[in-house]
Amino acid sequence: MRPLTPLSEIEVPAPRPDETYAVTLLDRRFSFTGLKALLGAADHPKAGDRLAGLAARDEVEREAARTLLASLTLQHLFDRPLTDADGRVDAVMRVNYQIDAAAFAEIAPLTLGALKDLLLKARPAQVRRLGLGLTGVMAAALAKLMDVHELVLVAKKAKRAAAARTRVGAPGTLSSRLQPNHPTDDLSCVTALVYAGLSMGAGDALIGLNPAVDTLDNVTAILTHLDRLRRETGAPTQICVLSHIKTQLAALEAGAPVEIMFQSLAGTERTLTQEFDVTVALLDAACAAMAAKGPLGPGCQFMYFETGQGSELTYGKHEGIDMATCEALCYGLARRYDPFMVNNVTGFIGPETHRDNFEMIVSNLQDHFMGKLMGLPMGMAPCYTLHSEITMEGQQVATGLLAAAGANFFMDVYLSTDRMLAYFDTSGHDDQTLREIHGLTPAPEFLAWALARGIFAEEEGEVVRGPNWGDPRLFCASQMEFERLARTVPGAHGFESAGPRPADKVSRAVKANLAIAREAIHADLDPARLGGMAFRRIASRAHDRAAHLSHPDIGADLDAADLAHLSPEDRDVQIVVSDGLSAEAVHHNVPDLVPVLMDGLERSGVSLGVPALVPFGRVKVAEPIGDALRAKLVVTLIGERPGGDARASRSMSAYLAFRIADEETRARAAAFSGNPAVRYEYSVISNIYDGGLPPVEAASVIVEKALQILAHKAAGNRLERLLAARAA
Amino acid sequence: MAHAGTAGEEVMLVGFDFGSTTSSAMAARARIALNCATGRQEFARPRVVYRSAPVFTPFRAGGDIDIGALELHMERWLAEGGIDPEAIFSGGAIVTGLASEGANAQALASLVEARLGAAIIATARDPALESWLAFMGACGGLSRACPERAILNLDIGGGTTNAALGQAGEVIAAGCHFIGARHLRFEPGGYRLAFAARRGQAVLDHLGITAGVGDALAPAEVAAVTGFLVRALEALADGEAAFFRAEPAALLVDVPLALPPGRDAAVTFSGGVGELIYAAAAGAGLPPTTAFGDLGIDLARAILASARLTRDLSLVPEHGGRATVCGLTLHSTEVSGATLHLCDAVPLPLRDLPIVASLPADADLARLSAALALVARTRAGGCIRVSGAGGLARSAAVKALGGRVAEALAAAPLDVARPLVLLLADNAAKAVGGYATDFGRAPAPLLVIDEIPERPAQFARIGKARGGMVPISFYGLN
Repeated sequence: MRPLTPLSEIEVPAPRPDETYAVTLLDRRFSFTGLKALLGAADHPKAGDRLAGLAARDEVEREAARTLLASLTLQHLFDRPLTDADGRVDAVMRVNYQIDAAAFAEIAPLTLGALKDLLLKARPAQVRRLGLGLTGVMAAALAKLMDVHELVLVAKKAKRAAAARTRVGAPGTLSSRLQPNHPTDDLSCVTALVYAGLSMGAGDALIGLNPAVDTLDNVTAILTHLDRLRRETGAPTQICVLSHIKTQLAALEAGAPVEIMFQSLAGTERTLTQEFDVTVALLDAACAAMAAKGPLGPGCQFMYFETGQGSELTYGKHEGIDMATCEALCYGLARRYDPFMVNNVTGFIGPETHRDNFEMIVSNLQDHFMGKLMGLPMGMAPCYTLHSEITMEGQQVATGLLAAAGANFFMDVYLSTDRMLAYFDTSGHDDQTLREIHGLTPAPEFLAWALARGIFAEEEGEVVRGPNWGDPRLFCASQMEFERLARTVPGAHGFESAGPRPADKVSRAVKANLAIAREAIHADLDPARLGGMAFRRIASRAHDRAAHLSHPDIGADLDAADLAHLSPEDRDVQIVVSDGLSAEAVHHNVPDLVPVLMDGLERSGVSLGVPALVPFGRVKVAEPIGDALRAKLVVTLIGERPGGDARASRSMSAYLAFRIADEETRARAAAFSGNPAVRYEYSVISNIYDGGLPPVEAASVIVEKALQILAHKAAGNRLERLLAARAA
Repeated sequence: MAHAGTAGEEVMLVGFDFGSTTSSAMAARARIALNCATGRQEFARPRVVYRSAPVFTPFRAGGDIDIGALELHMERWLAEGGIDPEAIFSGGAIVTGLASEGANAQALASLVEARLGAAIIATARDPALESWLAFMGACGGLSRACPERAILNLDIGGGTTNAALGQAGEVIAAGCHFIGARHLRFEPGGYRLAFAARRGQAVLDHLGITAGVGDALAPAEVAAVTGFLVRALEALADGEAAFFRAEPAALLVDVPLALPPGRDAAVTFSGGVGELIYAAAAGAGLPPTTAFGDLGIDLARAILASARLTRDLSLVPEHGGRATVCGLTLHSTEVSGATLHLCDAVPLPLRDLPIVASLPADADLARLSAALALVARTRAGGCIRVSGAGGLARSAAVKALGGRVAEALAAAPLDVARPLVLLLADNAAKAVGGYATDFGRAPAPLLVIDEIPERPAQFARIGKARGGMVPISFYGLN
């Protein structure tokens, strides 16, 4: 690969003061101060941009912003780099200026509107060439001017392929990234999911797993296991464990099969460094290490990035830049490393960034368009969580449009339910369905392998599903081995198919589980279903469900009037019950948990406040309550975000928030955490439901932990360290 | 942030099988992990790291086991397998079949325990346990793979046939019969009788065969003997209890097999004879006449000629002749849940604890007190099984049971040398223990161990805690 240009050698114009852009539409005058405001207002309405105060107030204002944006030249955008909160050009923005100077020179005098027209008229080769002359901001500005057909059409022209063992993204292909995640990295389950995916012709882009535990030992063990599966099945593909880039570098150094180096990217340097613990220098070092030591050898691309609209916003580090533009800035950073694949997971975060199907679909189309145009081999993972309003059908509309737009790959998450990350993505069935609808095949190397194994067959020159398609037993020595593996798969609703789709009984089970889980989120917290216990009711600042789901921060604060009524009680423990993201979890666990918890604490000599019930609360609501009541420890029982398993949708967690009340303890906690302002330490007991840690037993575990916290005046990792030292 | 309970540690499991014909050892490594699909702790991804070559079990002239010779084999197995007795998490040693009938069988079991330490449980003469182990070793996986089919596994060795009926990975019924290859021994290569055990002689007598030691059996006489044994096996497969009530079949019964009615069980085979059957069925042929000096090869041939017994040969179990040792290594120990009520004053392991009672979760104080009185009379403590899963799902039930245990303990306190172990199927140990000890205000020599499946056993052994969990083994299944 070509040498990386040092950051200091990338020329970026000096920032300029914000200008005012103004226009009149009919009799309304609109003005926008600065490019950030203009870009934000020009986009389709999205929850994240509304939360950031960047979205247009109405459709007319949006069109006014688009009109203004369309009139600006590319040179105008080039000359006005967006800056961070300190007015400086950050490292991510700087990397975005690493563009093809010749291509840019060709289009610099054009307005964005004119460039859009040119791209719609141009041949694919010209689109691909000109795209390399764009910064992320320019690509984002174009995206905001385009409608759905245009986003699909231009992206299709800009199709980009990349190659490792397989060549992904070639015309006529649709590949798949197999994701065999498991909540505890159970390798038998991983094997079962890999077999299931491969049998559906999935995994030709990558077999990649998000580890539950990001340690060198664990990541190395999983890499070794995936490598063994790849070799044993003979599938021509590549493997990856999506741990932090530092862990992967250590694994590479230790000789583990790090074939593809993964990292999540952000579009602002503050998010990248402070939240993802990654710098451009570290990415440069990882790329260089892979070039020197990567096992795939020369000629292969090996970097893999994931991005998705909204991460900068949710960390509050978006620098006043809208979600789509931040996303495009990620692509400018990714392009520096000539990656094998970029996967976009817009929709993963929740309703605070994308509330409904439209927002998710349009963002996905924008992301795919921007990435492809800028030169990236884009794969797409239109996805959702159950606390948004996005549905499986909306996701399927997105995949249909993205397949038409030439997405390089989609995800294969078995039956669309990620067993570790509690979100919903595309499945191997979806991938094959889209192949059949659009007349596409897997990557050629993988296809040859799959044809030889009867996964696919050729009939009259067409690739069709073969006799072994969808049968994971193909890779098992016996039915016994398959059953043994299948028993380890949570939510294994069945392996039967109907054509490229799951058999109806399987689909019914999946959808029923989804419905029950979604109901858990939208159910109202009902005090009558809490076992007749007496609670004091305290309101959070989220006064309704819509506000609660779309503004995560306000559920952590108390309503001002209710807060004013609280006064110090100086109890040892205050119990707080909140629905969080699942009232059903609270209804099913609290009636059996709280009586045992109170018995255990009281019999152990712990003083208790009257338990509090906080509808629409978040975990950190413990802190204003702890502060106001001056409790030593706040035990918050809160419903977790439901995944796709009906019983697990009733899963609750207990967060034990220890209030640091004296300077000596604060000094110890600060020394341990490195945070001099530390106020609370947390221990958590999770997975409380009748299929995990049953509520009655969970109560006793909480009692034990609470007594340890009070005795040691510490919680979380500091407490565990103290306990381990004492045990030793 | 801290989580309750830890798991994931890799542990070593071992098994030693001293049988009528051969003895062998096995060692495996497995990770203790939560199965997210079942919600239970289990040994995940076991890897067999050592399999000894089987050796002929050495007997002395009087029929006793040659313990000195076996000790040498055992030392060699430990060395070959790199097995450090200190590192063993759990395991078993079992003296089976004719070997268990030797006068010094128990002495061998004691020797194994002394050599391998507290993690090992060694038993002699536990025929139903043998049958259970053989089923789990041979058919545990197969049975779970075909959960709709009942499977009757016949583990045919030198001295006994250990029969166990199971479905969906669980044993439903077990029995043991003296149907084996070595009740009659021959000079290899022919049918000249070298030895006739008591039951072998009885069969010869019943069939009117007058040959004695030194005489050669005619082919028709051999066929009559194997025909009788095959008939007995068919009677087992079809649940013909009446067959075993008549002489001489009654002589073959050690532990009767009581098959539940209405189950058309598929028949599988394990043990040495089982291994011969599947090898021959796969086209490998049988070894030469009486190559092992017994009836094993002829019995296998006769079984292969039985339509009933060969109906399901397409179902091939695992581990063949090593089914028992595999069952011992991989299936003889259960892993408890990760949240237990243990007692600092009662060090683990606890061995040979009788299970004195099996009570429902709502057992009244009188029944609990009566069971507690039995525990008080034990040598080193005892277990009470709280039967029925789901009985402790509600806080009221837990509180009530814990309260009654506390009351019973207060009325008749136990000595720390005779602790009470409550075995629960539900995940509720810490809560029950909390109420039973008034959350630490009324300490008692009480351990509560949960997520333990019910077994019809008489004794249990509780191993040392590791990662918040304990291994527990059961024996005395007769």
